[in-house]
Amino acid sequence: MKRILVAVGLLAFAVTGASAEPASATNPPSTFQLDNGMQVVVVPDHRAPVVTHMVWYKVGAVDEAPGKSGIAHLFEHVMFKETKNIGPEEFTSIVQRSGGQLNAFTSWDYTAYFERVHKDQLGKMMELEAERMVNLIINDDPKGPFISERDVVKEERRQRIDNNPGALLQEMVLSEFWKGHPYEITVIGLMDEVNALTPQDGLDFYREYYSPENAILVVAGDVTEEEVRTLAQVHYAPIQPTGQAHAGRKWQPVAPLAETKLITHADPKVRQPVWSRYYMGTSFSRDRETALALEVGLEVLGGGTTSRLYQALVEQQKLAINVATFAWTTLHDEGPAVIYGTPVSGLSLEALDEAVMAEIEKVLAEGFTEDEVRRARNKLAASAIYQTDSQSSMANHYGANLVLGFTLEEIARYPEEVRQVSAEEALAAVRAVFGADRNYITSHLLPAEGDF
Amino acid sequence: MLKRLLSSSAAAAIFLAACATPPATHADLDGVSKAPPALLEVAFYDGDFVDIQQFDTPGGVSVWLVTEPSIPIVSVQMAWRGGSIADPDGLEGLGQAVVYGMNEGAGDLDSLGFQTAMEDLNMSFGCSNGSEWTSCSATMLSDNAAASMALVASALTAPRFDQGPFERFVREQEVSLRTRETSAGYLAWRAQSQALYPGHPFAREVSPESLAALTPDLARAHKDALMTKDRLIVTAVGAISPEELAVLIDAAIAGLPETGEVPAAAPVKLPEVAATEPVVVSLPQPQSLVRFIGPAMDRSNPDFFPAFVLNYTFGGGGFESRLVKTLRVEKGLTYGVSSSIDPNPSFTVWSGGGQTKNESAGEFITGIRDEMQKFIEGGVTEAELSDAKAYLIGSYPLGFDSNAKIAGNIMSIRQDDLGIDYFDRRNALIEAVTLEDVNRVAATYLAPERFSFFVVGEPEGLGPVE
Repeated sequence: MKRILVAVGLLAFAVTGASAEPASATNPPSTFQLDNGMQVVVVPDHRAPVVTHMVWYKVGAVDEAPGKSGIAHLFEHVMFKETKNIGPEEFTSIVQRSGGQLNAFTSWDYTAYFERVHKDQLGKMMELEAERMVNLIINDDPKGPFISERDVVKEERRQRIDNNPGALLQEMVLSEFWKGHPYEITVIGLMDEVNALTPQDGLDFYREYYSPENAILVVAGDVTEEEVRTLAQVHYAPIQPTGQAHAGRKWQPVAPLAETKLITHADPKVRQPVWSRYYMGTSFSRDRETALALEVGLEVLGGGTTSRLYQALVEQQKLAINVATFAWTTLHDEGPAVIYGTPVSGLSLEALDEAVMAEIEKVLAEGFTEDEVRRARNKLAASAIYQTDSQSSMANHYGANLVLGFTLEEIARYPEEVRQVSAEEALAAVRAVFGADRNYITSHLLPAEGDF
Repeated sequence: MLKRLLSSSAAAAIFLAACATPPATHADLDGVSKAPPALLEVAFYDGDFVDIQQFDTPGGVSVWLVTEPSIPIVSVQMAWRGGSIADPDGLEGLGQAVVYGMNEGAGDLDSLGFQTAMEDLNMSFGCSNGSEWTSCSATMLSDNAAASMALVASALTAPRFDQGPFERFVREQEVSLRTRETSAGYLAWRAQSQALYPGHPFAREVSPESLAALTPDLARAHKDALMTKDRLIVTAVGAISPEELAVLIDAAIAGLPETGEVPAAAPVKLPEVAATEPVVVSLPQPQSLVRFIGPAMDRSNPDFFPAFVLNYTFGGGGFESRLVKTLRVEKGLTYGVSSSIDPNPSFTVWSGGGQTKNESAGEFITGIRDEMQKFIEGGVTEAELSDAKAYLIGSYPLGFDSNAKIAGNIMSIRQDDLGIDYFDRRNALIEAVTLEDVNRVAATYLAPERFSFFVVGEPEGLGPVE
């Protein structure tokens, strides 16, 4: 549950990485810039003759114009359709015929495209990505491929959100949480607005945002900086910057919640009620120190089965099946800090709310022990080591941080920084977020009347 | 990477090297019995994709190890044939209770003590109970390998199955019993089981009654039946040598019973001619989940590799598959549609499906059947066959780029008994598939009448609602 960013992809749910971790010490990543403004990052991993090639664009759902929700994501799908030199639906064929796997994903903050291939195919992948950066064709036949892709995205929305009462409730809650902020609308967009998107909307979006100075190339795997530099000079360097790339992102501080609210969703598919509270949290981009302290503090409070809340509510009081806390800290702008739980049979959500909040009040009054804070810090720092096993998750991790403006040095510093969070800092961060004077949104997921 | 002891140009060679090095490290582990210094005979398999070291520990456990020194992680996988189909009648869920309890306290440590010890070591250990296999997996930092494996030893030797965690398991299962009733995937599985192989062990479900009959004592006894030395296979990947690992494994499994029997199930036999009408299960949601399933073949059947290659063009190849090209790209009916072959000898199936809005469920099913029919009438083209082979062979290295993937791959070739040289033989088996093979297999296996259809949702215009 923790750190799952809501991002939508062409084929699969994209789960983005944690805050910031280094590659193995023997393989330090490096970066350079092409003359056209495109940043290049190389993350060596020589265990297998495989590379992950990604192009990250500094555009996401946050940048959509009013009424055009879903264009960033629908446009991502359209990028697979046709270019001047690649026939309709041929892009994927060429990659797969080269033994490659490919996909893409869109978040509020970014859009990323990737291919995973044998290292011998890296140049060809660059050629393909460079081609669709400049030569995309959007078919404007009113019954053509843009329209059928729009229908695909509508099915994707039904599959991800509309089929799932919990996802529908979360969409309502987040829309209230980010009211007035560009994150207010979910990445995939509102059904009616998606249904009204046109090929011209796609073309306008492409012209505004897709250019080398608005992109970051990440190559992870069995490759050296020099090899990447040579290939990037051939394939990406000749692309002229458009000069139109969007200079200022539509990021803005998230306003504190104006009032405390309860949002309820009842559905006949719900067979287990779920209670949640959403408070204003923070993000690494807005306040790195607080984000680090909050991560550690929420790990102690509700991070796993050894956490204070789990031990009290599940193990000792036996009032909950599960209870946990987590914060969305990896978006650019402030995200929620969430407490959630599922009650045992027969216990109301109101009673669970009361019991959980009483426990939180008690823990925050008495403080954390040095020992539990140390374990939380070590767990977060060790996750950085375990992450180095996955080439694609390392590529994602670097891309997702660089696209928000972090440097390689900042990314590499994470384990050291998290180890320096003191028990006092962790406690202070949690106290501030869940303070008695803060507004919050409570959500209740309930069975429909008569079904439970 | 591993030292290449053979200078021959053979891509894949197997040979023995007697390693006279006694286990020098970890000889003074707390709580871990010392193995006597022993000659460890290690067979080095030098493959195209991965180099495997094969040895029997002094304690008699057969281990396959891939040494990967470049990242400081070690993962150890253990598996025993025998899974949930070995649950005694009326005690469905017993295997789940066993694996739930395996990291919930052992020896002197209660549940919280055990979980805290894992956190202190930054390691993880857990077990799972599939239908035919029970598995345990431990992942640790190489600096902590000895202490982490000592904790695993304690869990395997003296799991507590305390009442508290056991009752928590029951409470969690009670939630699953309720929530599964609105899970489209679960309802499709149940409809398929009841329609095609009712009463077979593969069709059994945990029930409120079977859950109520479980006890910690039953779990303790069933653990001794499932996890025995004679049926154990072990694989490991990471920054560790055979000598270091052998000592840790022997200590970990010292307390397991020597032998044990678990019942196997007779293979499921799916009908060659399916019902013409889809089975519809009602669920209030905007989309219908459509699943199709028909009989396939196991790996010993010469049709297997042709079918595997054919499946890429049918529904396994993403955007290169005809199902996606027609139902997603051309018609916009779905976000995803796919198919796969499971060659498990107990349950060989060719299955697939996807989700579409309720209004188009009928069109979606017709579309799938039409695509099957086109294979029977026209087969695949030379270009499709060549594209399928190019992807299946060209993408194979992508499955070996992390310790986790390598660990999964070497365990599955051991479980399926494919041989240590399988990874190196596999691409040639794909390359050898001919157009005649593929089209013969298509004509036999993709006949639409072989496939049963199950629909969960509120599909418009489809048969009676169950």
